[in-house]
Amino acid sequence: MSTESKKTLLHAWHCEHGAKMADFGGYEMPLWYSSVKNEHLAVITNAGLFDTSHMAVVLVDGPEAFDLLQTCFTNDLSACIGPQKKELYPGRCVYGAFLKENGDVIDDAIIFQLAKADYMIVINAGMGASIAAHLNAHAAGKDVVVKDLTDMLGKVDVQGPMAAKIVSKVLAEPDRVFEAMPYFSFKGHFDAASPLADAVRTSDGTPILLSRTGYTGEFGFEIFVNPNMIETLWQTILDAGDEFGITPCGLAARDSLRAGAVLPLSHQDIGNWPFMNHPWLFALPTDGHKTDFTKTFIGSDALRSSENADYTYAFIGNDLRKVSTTDPAQVLDADGRTIGSVLTCATDMALGMVDGKIYSVASPDRPAAFKAKGLSCGFVKVDRELSPGQLLQLKDNRRSIKVRTTEDVRPYRTARVPLKNML
Amino acid sequence: MKEISEMKLPDNVKYTDDHEWAKDEGGNVKIGITDYAQDQLGDIVFVEMPEVGATYEKGDEFGTVESVKAVSELFMPICGEIVAINEGLEDAPEQVNSDPYDGGWMISVKPSDTGELDALMDKAAYLDMLKG
Repeated sequence: MSTESKKTLLHAWHCEHGAKMADFGGYEMPLWYSSVKNEHLAVITNAGLFDTSHMAVVLVDGPEAFDLLQTCFTNDLSACIGPQKKELYPGRCVYGAFLKENGDVIDDAIIFQLAKADYMIVINAGMGASIAAHLNAHAAGKDVVVKDLTDMLGKVDVQGPMAAKIVSKVLAEPDRVFEAMPYFSFKGHFDAASPLADAVRTSDGTPILLSRTGYTGEFGFEIFVNPNMIETLWQTILDAGDEFGITPCGLAARDSLRAGAVLPLSHQDIGNWPFMNHPWLFALPTDGHKTDFTKTFIGSDALRSSENADYTYAFIGNDLRKVSTTDPAQVLDADGRTIGSVLTCATDMALGMVDGKIYSVASPDRPAAFKAKGLSCGFVKVDRELSPGQLLQLKDNRRSIKVRTTEDVRPYRTARVPLKNML
Repeated sequence: MKEISEMKLPDNVKYTDDHEWAKDEGGNVKIGITDYAQDQLGDIVFVEMPEVGATYEKGDEFGTVESVKAVSELFMPICGEIVAINEGLEDAPEQVNSDPYDGGWMISVKPSDTGELDALMDKAAYLDMLKG
């Protein structure tokens, strides 16, 4: 990795607006502007705007693009859409991962099908070259072209229950765009030369790729745009969102929001260990049984035959106190035995516990005694299978906190709410 | 994030390398963290306090301050006995951010050696340290 951090095109804006900057994935990114707590809460109650231009995009097209992705990607592109597990089709996208032969994770990704034999892969910051090389290494003899768009695209995310109202003010034809736009679907293109470009334009005519995805667990959009237009788009969205309480947000809020939404951070919650026994089985081509895969892919043999693989679980704490993960904190079971380590420990500041039940500021049923003081949450990796609700102790060199395994963390998340209900 | 020129640095407190402040209040010494420290940490969501009556050496960890992103240790600027803690921080830890030298004070200490306070940095020396 280069020693000097790269900058996104919004870097100057972040600095002018008082952001605390730090390196993430080789890019100097805003951690927060003035209050990470307010940023976190804004995404749950109103809307937040994130600069995510550090993320990498790789295009794969050609007659054998489908075959190449079926070989390299964990999810089954022929059976991944909806409860009936339909085939991926243009305008839809799907989450999964790229693995090594030994089942370890190279990176997680969302694959967007732009057109027949034409795909866009969105991966994590700094991973464009690695994923492009990995795909090319398996593309020998295949009629397919892999193109790494690292640093050639701008990306902003509008996340939160007001996102549709805000984006509708920015679009040239919002009614047409928002017609039939379910979770994990997208329209348009960032390249003016694409035949898809006319599907979504902003009021000034800029073509964008608008996707109903995100990394916060809340309703919203990811927007891909020509980098020349990103500063204008950023400001246009902020202006449009002013009346709806939009707040620019940094990566710290993004991290605590995704932890509360039980979403993994690549190279922290998934990484150099087999991609199995975790809360993200929807990323694997299963028909219900953990290793009964509906297709063969790179790493699938290793996952099928793996014994003694660790288990990853989400946890929730009793209060907002965290343990450090930089000196990996240990996980102790009820008998005080060390059974694993802590992968992520963050505080979801929208949460509080009343009589052992988790409530959010968005919970319509929150009792009078509820106070959003925050709850710690995250992921542990342990050497044995645990059941939900199992009590654990997380111990770093300073403190130990009591937590329990859980299947879900922040209640009443809005990511999957139908778009028409959000206008 | 604040520029160093925007930092509130009162003249009537002493400063440490670890960004605590200490203020003589006619015998006992009040202690908290500086405007620079709270700005670096971001939103303070929890302050873990010592027991009243406990005694610490200079440099001992007396508690932790927890932001949304991290947990940081608090160190004793001087040796002494804890005679009071700011109980108001339990419900309103954000006072450490909004009012670091007044509402955001953390502990009051009965010093074992009054000379230790004098040896800490004054505003000018602390400012020089921040400027590097």
